[in-house]
Amino acid sequence: MENLETSMRDIVKNLLNEQKVDLVIGYQKGTMPLRTTPCFVTKAEDSNKLVWNFCCDLNLIKYLLKDENKGKKVGLIVKGCDARALAVCISESQIEREKVIIIGMPCLGMLDRKKIEAEVAPKEILEARVTQDQIITKGKDFEHTLLKKDYIQPSCQACHYNNPPICNILVGNQPLELESAVDWDAKLAEFEAKPPEERWAYFTELLSGCIKCYACRNACPLCYCKECFVDQTQPQWVGKTTDIADVMFYHIVRALHVAGRCVGCGACTRACPMNIDLRLLSKKLEKIVKERYNFEAGLKTDEPPPMGTHTANDPQEFITEPE
Amino acid sequence: MKEKILLKAQLPKLIEELRKIYRVLAPVKDNGFYVYKAISSADEVDLDFANTKIPPKEIFFPRSEVLFTYKRTDNGIELIEPENSVEKQVILGIRGCDAQSFLLLDKFFAYGKFDDPYFAQRRKNTLLIGLACNDPRSTCFCTSVGGSPFSEAGMDIILTDLGDKYLVKSLNVKGNELLERIPWIEDANERDIFDAMQLTKKALAAIKEELPIEKLNNTFAEVFDEDAFWLQFSQKCIGCGSCSFLCPTCHCFDVVDEESSTGGKRIRLWDTCQFPLFTLHGSGHNPRPTGRQRLRQRVMHKFNYYPKILSEIGCVGCGRCILACSVNQDIRVVFKAVQES
Repeated sequence: MENLETSMRDIVKNLLNEQKVDLVIGYQKGTMPLRTTPCFVTKAEDSNKLVWNFCCDLNLIKYLLKDENKGKKVGLIVKGCDARALAVCISESQIEREKVIIIGMPCLGMLDRKKIEAEVAPKEILEARVTQDQIITKGKDFEHTLLKKDYIQPSCQACHYNNPPICNILVGNQPLELESAVDWDAKLAEFEAKPPEERWAYFTELLSGCIKCYACRNACPLCYCKECFVDQTQPQWVGKTTDIADVMFYHIVRALHVAGRCVGCGACTRACPMNIDLRLLSKKLEKIVKERYNFEAGLKTDEPPPMGTHTANDPQEFITEPE
Repeated sequence: MKEKILLKAQLPKLIEELRKIYRVLAPVKDNGFYVYKAISSADEVDLDFANTKIPPKEIFFPRSEVLFTYKRTDNGIELIEPENSVEKQVILGIRGCDAQSFLLLDKFFAYGKFDDPYFAQRRKNTLLIGLACNDPRSTCFCTSVGGSPFSEAGMDIILTDLGDKYLVKSLNVKGNELLERIPWIEDANERDIFDAMQLTKKALAAIKEELPIEKLNNTFAEVFDEDAFWLQFSQKCIGCGSCSFLCPTCHCFDVVDEESSTGGKRIRLWDTCQFPLFTLHGSGHNPRPTGRQRLRQRVMHKFNYYPKILSEIGCVGCGRCILACSVNQDIRVVFKAVQES
């Protein structure tokens, strides 16, 4: 990883020196262990601030969509999932392909910080070191060694795109071999086999902690609407309270809005301050879209998502023949 | 009143005694983190916690609350008061920072002509049994905002964890009255009091952050107009409400009416200055259209406007915003930048 970090910094330095980009967005060391924070580099000499490690979990595509970066030529550090989210944004005309230099990082999965922290809570991790296969955490009166493979984020465990499907420069020039992934089909099948009341109860319980801070929406690279439906007041589509009906309505509509577009990067789950994980819902939608339209989001920049297009050949038997 | 000693083995007994008189709220571990919850048994309580994820403000100022309902009748509109009868309650295990946050919220909810009855009623009926912070987190900076891990401000009783027992100190008449109802609780000896003092010193020494916040009051005003200054922070902000919603002193709310043909209700909800909708006018104009203005508002409100208007810093240094932020926006970094500017 250090080699990748050095190569990445060199690439960024050159891009800025040669004025091929105005800005590079990547990661820098965070203020706490196991964290990184977005890094905005405009001067070649600041390239050394950039880091690449197992905590570079943020999806930085969101920053390309911000007003202050509109029109700029931006170099962006991306993982496979980020590149896919970017591809969706490009296919939906939200980002101009030629305005971005995609600096792709081969990725073996990022660490699940919340899971690691929960392991030692209420004690606090003051120092953490990640080796080839271990995570060594230290606190005031403890030292824990954890096996890295047990603390990879769930979204990464299910990922098939360790190399960015689209990019201008692949750092390290060495595509990674794919690792075996979690079998989401089996998980979904198990859930689907449950009676509707049980499935409803699962989501009700899961969402009962939602405080409606909208961090999931704001972290999602594909939630880029200028005005979100929850913020519309004329008409007001959704109740604003944290009653379960209002919470559920928000999450279901958001799920439908990202159906066939969600790339499963996990930004929503990571951003949630209440540790709510809605991946079962997003994975189910992903599966439906794959089955119905043979479509997987974020692999091409010139193919609009199925829900954004209509053709006469669209499968539609499910409209009149519910399961 | 003399300090008392409560053995940890006696804690369930105390909680059961309290439950006879009060609704008891205490830290409970839920979904991997701690929250204050009304408990139905002493087993649920876990006082071995750093602090709760959701601040206890929601006990007095719920996430959403019906202020009143109304019905259309043949004789016009009939208003119905909500059934917010608040039973007497006790919060067990409140930290010094959070007790301080209640004092700040009191000022806000009683500011101006009206004392908010919903908030005030709950506050009045609530007794606070604090738990001193032996082990502040690395993100804690209470000492920089006038607090301390052993702060007693706002509490009625404070407990200090002495290992296998708690030193119990009543801080006012309400505390005395409660302890008088528990005849079996024994007096502390000099050694216990000495031990608690030692822990105070240790906890104070453990807080490494010394942020010059009080001195920065004027500097905040000087950087107000410097867009580039605020942009360096707002550029990484994704504009969610985590920092505000999980802040014990953020208190801004939205009021909405939910209406049907037969009546409706008026609801108060948590809101945040980090959302563009918060300041959007009916005309379509938004006085804080950009992220940097919104971020500035949150910082200025706590560290400049609050000191100016209420002579207090609007932050208790609990560090929840630092822990909650998914992009690692760290308010301490903002302070340092203000200091250096």
